[in-house]
Amino acid sequence: MTEHISALADNESALADVEQLMVTMQTNNHEAEVWARYHLIGDVMRGTAPLSQKFTQQIMSKIEQEPTVLSPNAALTRQTSTLQYTADAQHKMPVAWSIAASFTVVMLVGWMVLQTQLAHDVVPAEFAQVFTATKSTPLALSEQAVTQVIPAAYLMAHQASAPTASSYYIQSASYSE
Amino acid sequence: MIIQRFISIFLLACAALSAQAASDEETWQLLQKAAVAAHALSYQGIFICQSGQQSKSVQIKHLFNGQYEFARNVVLDGSPREVLSQGSDVVIYNPKNEKVVIEKRYGNNMFPAILPTDLDAIKLSYAVRVAETERVADRQAQIVLLEAKDNLRYSYKFWLDTEYGLLLKSVMLNAKNEVIGSIAFNQFGLISNLDLDWFKPKVDARKNYVMEDEPAATTDTNASPHWKLKDLPAGYVKVDQMKRMVRGKALPVTHVIFSDGLASVSLFIEPIESGVKPRLGHSVVANTSYYASVAGYLQITVLGEVPEATVAKIANAVVFIK
Repeated sequence: MTEHISALADNESALADVEQLMVTMQTNNHEAEVWARYHLIGDVMRGTAPLSQKFTQQIMSKIEQEPTVLSPNAALTRQTSTLQYTADAQHKMPVAWSIAASFTVVMLVGWMVLQTQLAHDVVPAEFAQVFTATKSTPLALSEQAVTQVIPAAYLMAHQASAPTASSYYIQSASYSE
Repeated sequence: MIIQRFISIFLLACAALSAQAASDEETWQLLQKAAVAAHALSYQGIFICQSGQQSKSVQIKHLFNGQYEFARNVVLDGSPREVLSQGSDVVIYNPKNEKVVIEKRYGNNMFPAILPTDLDAIKLSYAVRVAETERVADRQAQIVLLEAKDNLRYSYKFWLDTEYGLLLKSVMLNAKNEVIGSIAFNQFGLISNLDLDWFKPKVDARKNYVMEDEPAATTDTNASPHWKLKDLPAGYVKVDQMKRMVRGKALPVTHVIFSDGLASVSLFIEPIESGVKPRLGHSVVANTSYYASVAGYLQITVLGEVPEATVAKIANAVVFIK
C-alpha cells in the first residue's frame, strides 16, 4: 500500500487506482500519516521549508492582535481563543435561533404562495393573456422585485398631472439631460 | 344662586369659544387674502426654492392686467429652465442637450399662489394659528401656521406680507416639525407697468424647440370592473382619473389623483406584465413618499408629497375584483 501512496504523491499513480487510495487514506489513520510523511520528505528534498507545527497557533495569534473590533466574528474569536467550538449551552443558542428563523421563512414563503394561488384562481378575461406566465408560476417572495427607489417614470407622470410648487422649478433628480 | 353661577360660566365659555372661532375665521381670512393676492397683484422678485437636497433661485415676474394673468419664471441656477404661465396653462422650456423641450402642464399652484382660493377643503384637515411677525425680503410678514390635524399630511408655516397680504415665504414641516421644503422671496416688489414684452422665453434661440414626447393623458371616467376603492385616508378625495402611457410600459396605466386641498397623491393601477416581477417596496425621499404593492393581478404604485402612512393607506384602499 505504501508503494501506491508513494506513487500517488509523485503523480505516478494510475487514475483508476486514485479513488480507492483516497478512500483508504480517509478511513485509515496509518495510511494518512504515510501520505503526510511522504509529502514532508518530498518538501525537504525539494528545499521547500515545511510549516512549523505551531503555524496555526501563530497565525491565530497574529489575527488576534489585529485591531478589528467592529466585526462580530472577531469578537467571537477573542472570546473563544481557539477554533474548536465546544458544544456548550451558550453556543447552542444561535443554532436554535437559526432553526427558528429558517422555519419562519419557510412559513412566510408558503403563506405568500398560498395567498397568491388563492388570488389567481379567477383570471379576468382582459388580463388572461397578460397573466399566463404568472398563473403557471405563482409568485413567491423571491420572485417579486422589492425596491425602495421611486421609479422616475411614475414620478414624472405624477408631476405632470399633479405638480407641486417646487416641481415647476426643480427637475426630478432622475431626469436625464 | 348655583344656577346663576352655572349660567354665567356657560356664557363665559360660549364667549371664549366664539372669540376663538372668530379668531380662527380671521386667520383663515388672512390665508384667503394671500390666495387671492397671488393672482390679483402684479409683482416681481427673486425667490429660493428648496426641496430635498436641491435648491434653485428663481426670478419671477407676474402680471394681472385686470382680465388675464401672466407669469414668467426663470431658474437662475444650473440649467436655464423657464416656466411661463397664462392662467392655469403652464409651459416649461427645458434645455436638454441641443434642444429645448417644451413641456405643457395644467396647474394653478405656482409660488406664491400655492394656496387654493377655496379653502373649505383645507379647513377639514388643517387647523390655523397666528404666530409672531418677521421680516422677509425686506417686508414685514405675519406668520400663520397651517397645522395638520392628523399624521396623513404635512404642516405648513406661511409668512404673509402685512401690507399686501401676499405669501412671501412657505415652509413645509413633517410630524417632527422638521423643514422638508421651502420657498421664500429674498427680493420682492410690486410693478405697475402693464407691458407684456417680457412675456416670452429667452432660452437659447439657436437650439431647436421641440414638444415633449410624453403622450397626453386622456380622461377616464369609466369605473373599472377589476378594481374599486374603499376607505380612503381621511380628508382625501379623488379629483381626477385618467389613462396615460408611462415610459417603459407597453399598456396604458390608470392614473388616479387624490387631494386634500393642498397635498396631491397619485395612484397608478396597471396589470402586472407577463414575465415582469411585480414591484414591492416603499420609501420616502425628501417630502415625497412612495409605496408599491400588488392587488390580485394589479400592480399598485402610489406616490405624492405626503407622509408614508397616506400612500400606504391609498395603496391598501385598492380592492381587486375577481
